[in-house]
Amino acid sequence: MEVIPLSPLQRSVANREPIGRLFVEGPAGSGKTTAAIAWLDQLLRSGIPADQVLILTPQRTLAQPYYQAVHQPDLPAGSLPTIQTLNGLAQRMVLLFWPIVAREAGFARPAQAPVFLTAETAQFYMAQVVQPLKEEGYFRDITIDDNRLYSQILDNLNKAAFVGFDHTELAERLKASWVGKPAQLQIYDQAQDCANRFRAFCLENNLLDFSLQMELFSRHLWPSFLVQTYLKRTYQHLIYDNIEEDVPAVHDILREWLPSFQSALLIADSDGGYRAFLGADVESAASLAQTCEQHIQFTGSYVENEKLSMLSAYLTDALLRRAYQPSPAVEQAHQIHFERFYPTMVDWIGASIETLVRADGLQAGHIAVLAPFVSDSLRFSLMSNLENRGIPVRSHRPSRSLRDEPAARCLLTLAKLAHPQWELPLNRQEIRQMLMLAIGNLDLVRADLSAQTLFSPRKPKDGLASFDLLVPAMQERITHRVGEKLEILRAWLRDYQAEPQPLDGFLARIFGELLTQPGFGFAKDLEAAAVTARLVESVQKFRRVTSNEDAGKLYLEMIAGGVIAAQSPQAWEEIGRTDAVLISPAHTFLMVNRPVQVQFWLDAGSLNWWQRLMQPLTHPHVLSRRWPEGRKWTDADEYAANQESLARLVRGLLRRCSGRVVVCSVTLNERGDEEHGPLLQAFQSLRRRLNLTEEAA
Amino acid sequence: MNGLRPAQEEIVAYPGGKMGVSAVPGSGKTFTLSYLAARLIEQADLFDDQEILVVTLVNSAVDNFSTRISAFLKEKKLIPNLGYRIRTLHGLAHDIVRERPDLVGLSDRFSIVDERDSQEKMDAAVTSWLRIHPEFITDWTAPEVDLESDRFIQKQWFDLANSLARSFIRQCKDLQLTPADLQQKLKQLQSPHPLLQFGADVYADYQRSLNYSSAIDFSDLIRLALQALQADPEYLRRLHYRWPYILEDEAQDSSSLQEQILRLLVGSDGNWVRVGDPNQAIYETFTTASPRFLRDFLREPGVTARSLPNSGRSTCSIINLANTLIQWTNAAHPVDELRDALTRPLIQPTPPGDPQPNPPDDPEGIFLSGQAYEAEKEIDTVARSIKRWLPDHADWTVAVLTSRNERGAKIVEALKKHEVPYVELLQSSQSTRQTADVLAACLRCLADPGSSAKLQDVLKKLGRIAAGDNKEASAQFRAAAALLERCPRLEDYLAPLPGADWLAGLPAGQVAPRVLQILEDFRVQIARWHKATLLPVDQLLLTLSQELFVNPADLALAHKLALVMERAAISHPEWQLVEFAEELSSVARNERRLPGFSEEDTGFDPERYKGQVVVATLHKAKGLEWDRVYLLSANNYDFPSAQPYDNYIAEKWFVRGRLNLEAEALERLKALARDDLQGVHMEDGPATQAARMEYSAERLRVLYVGITRARRELVVTWNTGRRGESQQALPIIALQSGWKGNP
Repeated sequence: MEVIPLSPLQRSVANREPIGRLFVEGPAGSGKTTAAIAWLDQLLRSGIPADQVLILTPQRTLAQPYYQAVHQPDLPAGSLPTIQTLNGLAQRMVLLFWPIVAREAGFARPAQAPVFLTAETAQFYMAQVVQPLKEEGYFRDITIDDNRLYSQILDNLNKAAFVGFDHTELAERLKASWVGKPAQLQIYDQAQDCANRFRAFCLENNLLDFSLQMELFSRHLWPSFLVQTYLKRTYQHLIYDNIEEDVPAVHDILREWLPSFQSALLIADSDGGYRAFLGADVESAASLAQTCEQHIQFTGSYVENEKLSMLSAYLTDALLRRAYQPSPAVEQAHQIHFERFYPTMVDWIGASIETLVRADGLQAGHIAVLAPFVSDSLRFSLMSNLENRGIPVRSHRPSRSLRDEPAARCLLTLAKLAHPQWELPLNRQEIRQMLMLAIGNLDLVRADLSAQTLFSPRKPKDGLASFDLLVPAMQERITHRVGEKLEILRAWLRDYQAEPQPLDGFLARIFGELLTQPGFGFAKDLEAAAVTARLVESVQKFRRVTSNEDAGKLYLEMIAGGVIAAQSPQAWEEIGRTDAVLISPAHTFLMVNRPVQVQFWLDAGSLNWWQRLMQPLTHPHVLSRRWPEGRKWTDADEYAANQESLARLVRGLLRRCSGRVVVCSVTLNERGDEEHGPLLQAFQSLRRRLNLTEEAA
Repeated sequence: MNGLRPAQEEIVAYPGGKMGVSAVPGSGKTFTLSYLAARLIEQADLFDDQEILVVTLVNSAVDNFSTRISAFLKEKKLIPNLGYRIRTLHGLAHDIVRERPDLVGLSDRFSIVDERDSQEKMDAAVTSWLRIHPEFITDWTAPEVDLESDRFIQKQWFDLANSLARSFIRQCKDLQLTPADLQQKLKQLQSPHPLLQFGADVYADYQRSLNYSSAIDFSDLIRLALQALQADPEYLRRLHYRWPYILEDEAQDSSSLQEQILRLLVGSDGNWVRVGDPNQAIYETFTTASPRFLRDFLREPGVTARSLPNSGRSTCSIINLANTLIQWTNAAHPVDELRDALTRPLIQPTPPGDPQPNPPDDPEGIFLSGQAYEAEKEIDTVARSIKRWLPDHADWTVAVLTSRNERGAKIVEALKKHEVPYVELLQSSQSTRQTADVLAACLRCLADPGSSAKLQDVLKKLGRIAAGDNKEASAQFRAAAALLERCPRLEDYLAPLPGADWLAGLPAGQVAPRVLQILEDFRVQIARWHKATLLPVDQLLLTLSQELFVNPADLALAHKLALVMERAAISHPEWQLVEFAEELSSVARNERRLPGFSEEDTGFDPERYKGQVVVATLHKAKGLEWDRVYLLSANNYDFPSAQPYDNYIAEKWFVRGRLNLEAEALERLKALARDDLQGVHMEDGPATQAARMEYSAERLRVLYVGITRARRELVVTWNTGRRGESQQALPIIALQSGWKGNP
């Protein structure tokens, strides 16, 4: 990491006495977190015990710089500061004080331990609640797949907890804002009924989804004298970063808690609020500033250059339909490129990146390719194009379901092979795909030959036959290199069957003992490793909450049936590691918070840059704290919110860009449709004005 | 000179407000409309978030139009493709719904079922209803028909019930009636008519089953678009701002929903240009489409009415023939109610010096055959005639037009038998089948990567796409495919081990370098596709099609195919590539139709098929033209004239009283929708009679469309039908005499 000396403002943060509350605000890239880390360093070196320091962020990924900072080798030895989200802290408190609060919070079995649900295990239980009702005719009048249905009802519960209203008010709030056909009102009632039943089910069975974790903390734990005393005694110093991405219920608690810290440093990103759809509330964050004695405003940027700031301002003006006169200087900060078709665009991007890396000497890790939505097909074409040019590339799509990851499918196929007693369906194509991935550099033709000759779909229980029994001609075609690997795989599976383990154990073992060995497919494949880690985590969490004996089998069935999607979030740490071009959805790139030099914006015409995710059962704005009771949500609100959020997104992206942005527009999108979204229109407006300026000159 | 004639200039000079244009066939209405759109984009001073909206029935004009405008925008250093939007009604509806799906109870990634899915759901609903209500069929069957003994009739009954249900449900959706609304209305009746009960029950069942798979069908899409506009006035206001000018092509086929959607979007003070030819309104039967909307619009106060009366398409003789049909209909049609089925203006040839002059006249170019052929004989005679004629007219375009797909298929058979080169433009378009066929071949090859035959098949198909009409290039691809046959083990070609590269080992000098290059490129491509097999099938298809196709229609189709496969993958998790390939093949074999946003073929260009015969239905031929046109089956079954001796396709012989059940059901449904109890309880029969009038009127217009497809020569023949009872169509008899008496 390059060391840049601290600015006077940053020094004023870092060198202050550890007393009193300081509020720091400024745009992304202005050096706030760097200052906070310098202050943390100062604190720890001054002899304050690290375990008195609490570092809060709204999301684990945002705590990344702090994790790195506290692991510096030259820091004084001893305990570590606590780095947590409030939800993480809540879980710890629940575990500590469960016997005290469980009964009053309404749990039916306070004597038994609580079970924390993840997003997907919550979905699993939600399915148990909703399915019977669907059969009775619930949700007949809307068109939505099951997965989304469950997640939206859960999301509603979370919103109630995060914003701080009772979950039984959900339907009333949504109904009061609805302008469409009255038939929809009934749907809200049905969603409410499901939410109520799910909550009752959780209380009955000691299950805690996110909403219940939050509610338990804010309504029962935090008000308790015991808990407050414990927390206040434990933590004397607070750093709370990215407060604008946190939810109001957390801000409420912090407002009460802040006076008891010896020192507190609160940091807000003035352009932030990207997690609004998850309940983040910029206004309630800003109100925390009033509890701080000292305020410091950061300005400028260590990342963005002046021309990009201008570009950002012009685009905002264009989006918000304000008058502006652009300076021709912005021409150097951006480029617009059109192609008629996708493949030519992908090729052009590949070639441009190659030039940037080879001719201009840019590090691959300083380039990001961003799109509102990254499909498998797009990712595949881009990645293979770059790989063919020898340029390292990584992609990140946090909301992607694990079962769509080839590496995960390979592992699941191996799991079925290893557990014939589960009698799960297995076909030749799965075997073939598994072999392609499991064995290093195995081509499709030889993988197919192996699957054809070694696996019989009529006798799946027999597993893989021995390569050694094949006729020599066939062995030669498949090659002995592959044959050797096949035999090792067979032997490993046989040994495993003698001593089977729970599914997560199986996955961890086969990954470590076989797939990452030299000559096998996962060796040196960091992405496959990451996928395996997430899959193991997902299985573990599932196993912990289901008492079923055959949890592994049930897990595989649930995945196949689409009830759970194995959406264990990918950790951001995985991204930072390598120097590779990043392919990522634009919104998630913001949360990586890792600036780059050159950004490619794909699909500039797509409406998805602008439009929020449309969810018929929930509503991020109506269920927010600032929405006036009873007001209708009309398209004017929708439009204003979308324009505002696109302007914010554009500002956020450009703040994280130090060189220039390349805007790519394809006449015909993947569907063969033309798209004319507002982002492209904003660039058109800019072009038109630049032309005028040019003509005038 | 800009290539416009005065009447066209007048339209291009449109100053804003509401304007209606009635155009004759071949008057260049689409061309003029494109010109107008381009002019508006240049001069109307729109904001960057505003667009000219062009609504059209078919996509064929889109390409030319886009090319012209993007060139203009690029010249101005602006981003091309912005500032206008060309959509079919389905495309527009999709845009409207996609932007605010929440307004109509859809989630953001709602899916649209394809025709076969929809048909399967319909079949299931109809079958189960008929099982519970066996009396429905017995009650409606003619007394003399013995249901028990004739399985064929049972099958026919099932088909009839099915098509009845389809029309009924479509009509309900056009009328914005949900199953619940309908049941509510039925409850008010003492004893609902069995046809209404049937329709309502099947509708409820069908809709439930759509919902179960979280999908909507095409009629829903349009219904929901209107609903979204009505739900939130702010949304309507935003779209009204976005589309300050709306240009509508083929307005004579506007349906009631289209009319409502566009009226809302235009608003009271908006700019709306509607262009159409009421004489070419041929989508009316059992739909709410009607040329009345255009005619009424032309008469509305505040609407400037214009016409495009000149046509440079046909010879003067053919123009005269078409005009005579209008004149005869107006003045001499034996049925009074049908005299306004065709309306003026008459077609005028272009004036001297016109940029789009008529072909030189040739009165001999028209042949209206008076001979009564048997059905098979007619086809055979035409096929022989073409076989004789074609060799001397290699640079002519020629088409055989027929009323129905089945008849078209028979013509294709006959042409095959006589070895006449042909192109089909029947139910599913050529390009749908080709796109699906190519993708199916790719999947088959990926499913069985060791098969040389399948790999060759892919290479041949790629060659056909890449080489197009270039004979030399096609020969090279064929040679490359033939070479592959000699590769004993494909891994030595596709993934060779060091020293075992089959391609490198081919004897140098014996294989043309270009052929080697083809094989080299193909290997790289296939290797990439092999890796892509790890993707989910829909994404695999998208990846393949992005590499294979450059034509927007193909890309759009491939995307739709990918969606169909994604749905299939959800309902059949056990499927492997082989099954997906089979599914695609069934599309290619025309067993299932795709959810197209335009039901019409996109961009079919007759000029590309010189030296071959195009076989098309009259409906598909709309908007197209050929030098020589054969119009078959000009008898009183295909073109009835509401005469006592006419037979009607919709009046089934096995139905009691030969009632037209669809007409009977829909009339009652409409009455129910407007709470007209008298209409609901009317006796059986009058609706059937009324439908005869409507159908005869529409068939007259279809005949007019057929005649006006011909540029230089027209041959009209007729046959005596399956039972030998049909007679020559009345209008043709009139034309034969009128033509002779009135040259």
